[in-house]
Amino acid sequence: MDRFIKLGSDISLLWENYGSAYLGGMWSTLLLALVATVIGCMIGLLCGILNTIPYNEYTPRPKRFLLKLIRIIIRVYVEVFRGTPMVLQAVFIYYGLPYFSGNTMQFDNLWTAAILIVSINTGAYMAESVRGGIISIDPGQTEGAKAIGMTHFQTMTSVILPQALRNIMPQIGNNFIINVKDTSVMFIIGFTEFFAFHRYITGVNNMYFPSAAIEMAGYLCMTLIASFILRFIEKRMDGDDSYELVQGDQLVMSAGTYTHPDRGTPFDEYSKREGRLEKVKEGKRHKADMGGDRL
Amino acid sequence: MSEHILEIRHLSKCFGSHGVLTDIDFTVSAGDVTSIIGASGSGKSTLLRCINLLETPTGGEILYHGRPVTGANVNAAEYRSHVGMVFQSFNLFNNMTVLENCMVGQMKVLHKKKFEARERALYYLEKVGMTPYINARPRQISGGQKQRVAIARSLAMDPEVLLFDEPTSALDPEMVGEVLNVMRSLAADGMTMLVVTHEMAFARDVSKKVVYMNNGVICEQGTPEEIFGAPKRPETREFLSRFIGKSLD
Repeated sequence: MDRFIKLGSDISLLWENYGSAYLGGMWSTLLLALVATVIGCMIGLLCGILNTIPYNEYTPRPKRFLLKLIRIIIRVYVEVFRGTPMVLQAVFIYYGLPYFSGNTMQFDNLWTAAILIVSINTGAYMAESVRGGIISIDPGQTEGAKAIGMTHFQTMTSVILPQALRNIMPQIGNNFIINVKDTSVMFIIGFTEFFAFHRYITGVNNMYFPSAAIEMAGYLCMTLIASFILRFIEKRMDGDDSYELVQGDQLVMSAGTYTHPDRGTPFDEYSKREGRLEKVKEGKRHKADMGGDRL
Repeated sequence: MSEHILEIRHLSKCFGSHGVLTDIDFTVSAGDVTSIIGASGSGKSTLLRCINLLETPTGGEILYHGRPVTGANVNAAEYRSHVGMVFQSFNLFNNMTVLENCMVGQMKVLHKKKFEARERALYYLEKVGMTPYINARPRQISGGQKQRVAIARSLAMDPEVLLFDEPTSALDPEMVGEVLNVMRSLAADGMTMLVVTHEMAFARDVSKKVVYMNNGVICEQGTPEEIFGAPKRPETREFLSRFIGKSLD
């Protein structure tokens, strides 16, 4: 029992002296993980779009070659960055750049370096998740979009990726939480995140166990909050379970409230005016618009 | 000779060594309602998908206003925006509401302003009787309602031809009627339609031309009176006799 009391007093001692350092470290960790996950997702989405550009025998030869090349490059990128430890990638990129450029180019900012490394690493995982997400969407969705004349890019951004993104939200959450923890390896290039402060503080006073306890609790706090927020976002993405029926005056409706915009109508002036109103009152005003009562 | 919107010439399609369509020839003129009938697996759907370039034909050509639509310098997306398609499985965009489904194509492909797209979408949704449901998502409405929205979505693009790929086959019997009624009213409005269907009564009463397909070839084509009244080929007669048991109305 007294061991626990000892631990408690040690922790409060550490927190008194280094509390702001720990908090600062947590902030750096969260920020790095968040920014890198977002950029990683964008890399993943881009790879997803590029990877799925269709081609057939009518595609001009140079374009077909380019598309094949892109797929090979993405494949290599994914395999290399998924298949090597991030700690090594950090060293490789951080020290590799000045090594190859003869010291003319180097990272003058540790944040840039850390964000770049974690983003590239996350991007490799996300590229595969996005691919999985795209495959999971019913091909009918693509056909529906193609059939109304959307290009590949439009199909992806308006129809497929929003749905794929919903399906891979758990994966994105996974990646974010992994990033919160794995950014700890960035100490190798001297980036001071949460774990780096543990190394620094225990180097001063040898209080390994109490400091580790603080770190454990800190990481758990961050990941639990992250899980909670992610669940909330998923719920939001699913949209409402119910919808409002839009009730209009059936008689007015069948009398032709909506007339073909191109073919002219007896209500021309009205429909133009309503168009202008629409711009001002952008929003959920379907209900008011439906009945003809404003006539 | 009248101006044809679509001309299909010697079209063929193989999946590997398996030929699905062989030497298909027919034309679609403005205002025509053409029904394509035939047994399952006779290539009707594949033909329609080839016309909309969802499948790449392996031989022959498709002419749209006299210009080929397959080849290196053809913008498939642009061509598809003139040729609407309604699918057996609706294919509404699950991430959007009914209204957004009908607006997105107009805004992205035809570059219409939001309020204009909205007004048009509402016009066509009213036409198919789906105005009350504009805020619903596809997963919240019934099959027949989905199909009516899908028709409104295609119409909102102002297509020259509308292709229907077995639009009522995935529906419960009591919902078939509502979709067929919408299609009948479209036909009455002079819409050019190409309909793959198992609804013989619809093919007989509404279409101007009926195409009977068997094993990937056009076996017989003609007016509904010719095909349903006095079929020339034994295959057609045998196919239709299977439908005689069911009443044609």
